[in-house]
Amino acid sequence: MADEGVANHYQVLEELGRGSFGVVYKGIDKTTGETVAIKHIDLESSEDDIQEIQQEISVLSTCASNYVTKYKASFLRGHKLWIVMEFLGGGSCLDLLKSGIFNEVQIAIICRELLFGLEYLHSEGKIHRDIKAANVLLSETGKVKLADFGVAAQLTYMKSQRNTFVGTPFWMAPEVIQQAGYDFKADIWSLGITAIELALGEPPHANLHPMKVLFHIPKNSPPRLEGKFSKEFKDFVAQCLVKDPDSRPTAKELLKHRFIRSAGKVEALQELIQRKRMTDARVDHVKHPVYYQETLHNISPKDEADEWVFDTVKSIVPRRGTVRSRKPSSGFAVEDAMRKLDLKDGPLQPNTPGTVRKSTVRRQPSSASRRRSRQNSNGSPRPSLGPKRPLQPDMSFGNSGSTMRLFRRVPSDSSNSGGLASSALEFANENQPPPAYHSPVEPNSKEAMLGRRLYKKALEPCLDELHAQTAASSKREALAKLSDAFALLDAVDPEGAYHLLRNLVSTVSQDTKLNNTFLPQQAAPSSSKTTPVAVTADGNPQGGGTVLVKSRPSTATTATTTTTLAGTPPTPISPSKLVFSQQNPHLMSHHRRRGSLLPQPVSPSSSPEREHFRGDRDRDRENREREREREREKMAAAAAAALEAAKFPGGPAVPGMEHCKALSDLLYTRWTDGLRARWGVVPR
Amino acid sequence: MSFFFGRARARTNTTDLAKQAKDHVTKLDGPQGGAKAEELAKVLAQMKQVLQGTHEAEPNTEQIYQLVTGMIEEDLLYLLAVNLYRLPFESRKDTQVIFSYMFRFRPPTGPQKPEPFALAYVVERRPQVLVELCKGYDHKESATPAGTVLREVLKNEAAAAIILYDDGEEQGSSVRGVGGINPDRPQSGRGVFWNFFDWIDKSSFEVSADAFTTFRELITKHKELVPRYLAVNFDLFFDRYNSVLVQSNSYVTKRQSIKLLGEILLDRANYNIMTAYVDRGEHLKICMNLLRDDRKMVQYEGFHVFKVFVANPHKSVPVQKILIMNRDKLLQFLSHFLEDRTEDEQFIDEREFLIKQIRSLPSAPVAPPQR
Repeated sequence: MADEGVANHYQVLEELGRGSFGVVYKGIDKTTGETVAIKHIDLESSEDDIQEIQQEISVLSTCASNYVTKYKASFLRGHKLWIVMEFLGGGSCLDLLKSGIFNEVQIAIICRELLFGLEYLHSEGKIHRDIKAANVLLSETGKVKLADFGVAAQLTYMKSQRNTFVGTPFWMAPEVIQQAGYDFKADIWSLGITAIELALGEPPHANLHPMKVLFHIPKNSPPRLEGKFSKEFKDFVAQCLVKDPDSRPTAKELLKHRFIRSAGKVEALQELIQRKRMTDARVDHVKHPVYYQETLHNISPKDEADEWVFDTVKSIVPRRGTVRSRKPSSGFAVEDAMRKLDLKDGPLQPNTPGTVRKSTVRRQPSSASRRRSRQNSNGSPRPSLGPKRPLQPDMSFGNSGSTMRLFRRVPSDSSNSGGLASSALEFANENQPPPAYHSPVEPNSKEAMLGRRLYKKALEPCLDELHAQTAASSKREALAKLSDAFALLDAVDPEGAYHLLRNLVSTVSQDTKLNNTFLPQQAAPSSSKTTPVAVTADGNPQGGGTVLVKSRPSTATTATTTTTLAGTPPTPISPSKLVFSQQNPHLMSHHRRRGSLLPQPVSPSSSPEREHFRGDRDRDRENREREREREREKMAAAAAAALEAAKFPGGPAVPGMEHCKALSDLLYTRWTDGLRARWGVVPR
Repeated sequence: MSFFFGRARARTNTTDLAKQAKDHVTKLDGPQGGAKAEELAKVLAQMKQVLQGTHEAEPNTEQIYQLVTGMIEEDLLYLLAVNLYRLPFESRKDTQVIFSYMFRFRPPTGPQKPEPFALAYVVERRPQVLVELCKGYDHKESATPAGTVLREVLKNEAAAAIILYDDGEEQGSSVRGVGGINPDRPQSGRGVFWNFFDWIDKSSFEVSADAFTTFRELITKHKELVPRYLAVNFDLFFDRYNSVLVQSNSYVTKRQSIKLLGEILLDRANYNIMTAYVDRGEHLKICMNLLRDDRKMVQYEGFHVFKVFVANPHKSVPVQKILIMNRDKLLQFLSHFLEDRTEDEQFIDEREFLIKQIRSLPSAPVAPPQR
């Protein structure tokens, strides 16, 4: 490793920020005393990005321009890659925008410097592809430099074109979105958008969803700079934003534009940096610098018993007890606990197993009973259950969120004793909770009767149908969970189901667009008393999706909501496919959250609860069940909302969740890539 | 008239360029090396412009033709490749562009040749150019430009063969052009191709990463050439591959090469290579140790090689022995292996499949059925 010693040449100081790929620190080059920025990229946490990072480095390392951030070195340290760059103390234009928009004089200077940078890059056969305020850095003295070459392209031949769909939607040129082949001119468009961003504080269409913007840009006439700006500035922006790339001027030509020629010196930009510092000080933003700390990975010495045995002479006695899993894993812990658990003292064991089971086949068809029957009959489901089969695999009742797979994935035909034990556990595990939820709640009010009817006639068949139509397993899982939640609700509180739908309908009717879409011929029913369930469905802060819906035009909303309910997009080209995008961070985090929050009736940790149950089971249990049901319902509602939100991953960050936005944006870009690969053209 | 005049002037210029460049390159070592380097830089920039054209003017095919033939006559490609690392920063990039255009240029008239003629010339008559380009990895200055040119050129099967079969003055080496290659003679392991292992393992991150990318291209692109090469040089190749790359100290090299190993084995064109690979108990041992690496992504990539051993329906006796000996450990280990990959359905399914396979192994090795 030629790299090992190099890291010692640098003294790493405080954290400057966190970028798309890793943490950036301020540092000092010990050999020269120069201040540098050092990016630490944890390669272990990235799946396949090593080559992308290499690409970025190779583009940067072949740049030598005063208008491009200077690359100094890169080297490996363990599984961290350090990239040493020139330190630019002024921060990014996006940061500077936070303390106010820029004036025309400042914008002219920045645009000129950027044009110099682009002229250089383009003459080198490089396309930046992600020009925006966030990627424009200022030095302390006001020098303007292009940064972040994460998606930059190097063309081998001047005339070649690119088709890759990369960049950030708001700043993307129409030809990039259309993927008809684009070249350097794409950067010029982005520059025009950046100029607007600097003047107004945000790019055009910033209020729209990025997905929507992708359709908007190629379809409509280019954005214009409106308002009290000089004619020159407006014209400059208009020149950059010519839709036909062939008629769009080059960087060189734009340098001759009047707006640019009359621009002043870069030192004038120091004002912006000063202003930012003032604002920061005024906000009383006591910054506690985060200092770099060397992380030492102590690798615990491996256990002898853990090592593989390759020596033929040594005879191996299987020692179950001594073979330890390398990492203490939650799954293992739970399994262990399960082993200790005597099935008989499970309080949730049904009082009258036989009958409950029978009666539950209808009301709670989803998981346990059917899966069990399949297991018992050696893999052949009873014909009557055939149509519902798609719902089988994923019903775990949420009773051990993180270890769900462990149980689900244990094969039923296991031959050794360990396997049998675990399948027995699975059996018990699955059996216990359902009857508990099934404390016979007979519909005794009109609402409850309706609720039950609603479930039987509408919800259950709908969900089954959708599930059957859905192919991708992640989608199926999501649907199965929802179906599960409804089944439980019906079993325990049919009245709740009634109120849920009632409130849903009434809230939908209050939004004109939703109303038109879903209830075209219905008058808005008067809303009844609000159950906690409905409140959650509506005001759940985790939902996030509701917020999105409001700001969305009707076409998109239609797609969203139908798909949320329908699971399968009506047409393959519908953008609503995104709802269940596997990579979707909203969805994923939601699963996790759900798993961890759900009550775990059988888990040993709930033993105090069990004691309680034994005491005064009757009344207390019912309340408890109800509470649980509500929580479950909340989850279901949140699931629906999250599914909806999931559809628009690039959307505005939910307050308090801004830190997820970068990730979400990244995934979003990947998704759009995939979308295009699959269907070629996206409808506009 | 002026049009005519312009062309005449250009002609003298372009033929001169190659000569001038040669002059300067050969004197880089001399007393005026610095000055020569500067002049060379100017000449190279001019050459680049001729080949590339400018934003205003399209490149002139006739000029290019003259330049290319001039460069071949002066053997400039070889000289530039040898001296690449000594050129100034901008000249290295210019040289890269010059090479790329040269190797791509097809004369507009004349007989239809399957290859651009500069490349054909190099492959048939001057293979040392390609060898020297590879040696660009000896220096961090020349690694990126040389690598960029190489990756472009290696798309050509003959060019790839030159590098694979370079073996000094040995019989059947590519040293006398692509026609002299004898693919059935095992390599000595001293040819330029074998240097890639050290370039990848021992260089700094930038050089190593670039060399690896080129190596990957070389090994995965050509579906007839490479399987044959690997079959003849099986032991030499995989011994080096496993000892140098898979067990490299560099995290990136290790992880990338395990991944590439998986890709090589699972490539349909390499079916015979794959079956030979997974027959060896030694290979399985290396692979099983990767599963226990302390870095998750290494474990993960290792898994994708391991699965080939287990999924193989014709497991050799040594492989069966190892698996059976470790059956309980493996079952225990796999049931908790990379548990946090809960979103990766394919991985989970494959892991499940492996568990089943291992569980159903016989209690003692059985000779594999005849294929």
